[in-house]
Amino acid sequence: MTWLPFRTRAAHAFQREAGRLAALFLVLPIAFILRVLMRYHIRDVSRVRTRYRALVKESDCPILICPNHLTMMDSAVIALALGGSWWYLFHYSRIPWNLPEYNNFASQWPTRIGAWLTKCIPVIRGGRREDVSRVIKRVQYLLSRGDTALIFPEAGRSRSGRVEADSVGHAVGRILTSVPGCRPLCVYLRGDRQRTWSTIPARGDSFYIDFQVVEPQSEHSGMRRSRDFSKQIIERLVCMEEEYFAGR
Amino acid sequence: MTRDEIFAKVIEIVRPFVKNEDALVAVTDDTNILEDLKVNSSRLVDIILNFEDEFDIEVEDEDADAVNTVGDAVALIEEKLS
Repeated sequence: MTWLPFRTRAAHAFQREAGRLAALFLVLPIAFILRVLMRYHIRDVSRVRTRYRALVKESDCPILICPNHLTMMDSAVIALALGGSWWYLFHYSRIPWNLPEYNNFASQWPTRIGAWLTKCIPVIRGGRREDVSRVIKRVQYLLSRGDTALIFPEAGRSRSGRVEADSVGHAVGRILTSVPGCRPLCVYLRGDRQRTWSTIPARGDSFYIDFQVVEPQSEHSGMRRSRDFSKQIIERLVCMEEEYFAGR
Repeated sequence: MTRDEIFAKVIEIVRPFVKNEDALVAVTDDTNILEDLKVNSSRLVDIILNFEDEFDIEVEDEDADAVNTVGDAVALIEEKLS
């Protein structure tokens, strides 16, 4: 298991338990906002949930969700699509830990508290290497405990509206190579009215979602192995995007 | 290999990834690779892998985490070569 100082582990334990309590009051309202106020519709959601729940039931392995990234609501929509609000109330550990950009979600107290209660670990993308590394180690630790986490391999919303293979970060591969048994789950999510990137999806949008478990391979070790894993994840997302557009 | 030779090679390796070419003219040990040279953070791994190939060294993730400036990169390579 990834080593973390006692203070950091204690902080995580506190955040987890506070979040567990807050989930009773937050999960259903968040689902209400997405479904009723924003009128988001996820196509074939029951099929997606059945598949995801079967995957979770299949083994206790940690899951690293690796989605494409177009809006700031992606992680919430994906979490809702995969698990469902009621299911999360009984499977709290399966609410994914999320790594939002600090400047978007944690630079002001109200959003910082909200992010903290909803299992977020803010990160400054492109920030000091030591700081980013500290966050990666925290995710490694949480996954090695059997939790679920969500990281966008592109490390930012795609400006072109398509999966940008060239902008793949190192974090995903680094986490996957360091957490034994961790299963990467590539998720492709797209609203029908989503042309490029945006802050939030259009109200009333209908979403396509699909996921695939990937088993990355590499003959290398160290950083090359991590890079190979990251590349295979992003390449799978590119393929899933091609399938999406081919099926339209 | 002298420190100056390592420094020069480091600059050559970093050059293709630099977006702020002006900063390369006055590059020093304290020049920050991401902030000053405007290298995309996701490309830093490619740079470090190029260091591995060029200097025939192996860099672990933890070592790479300490590379913020050109001087950090030179110091890391010096340490690995010694």
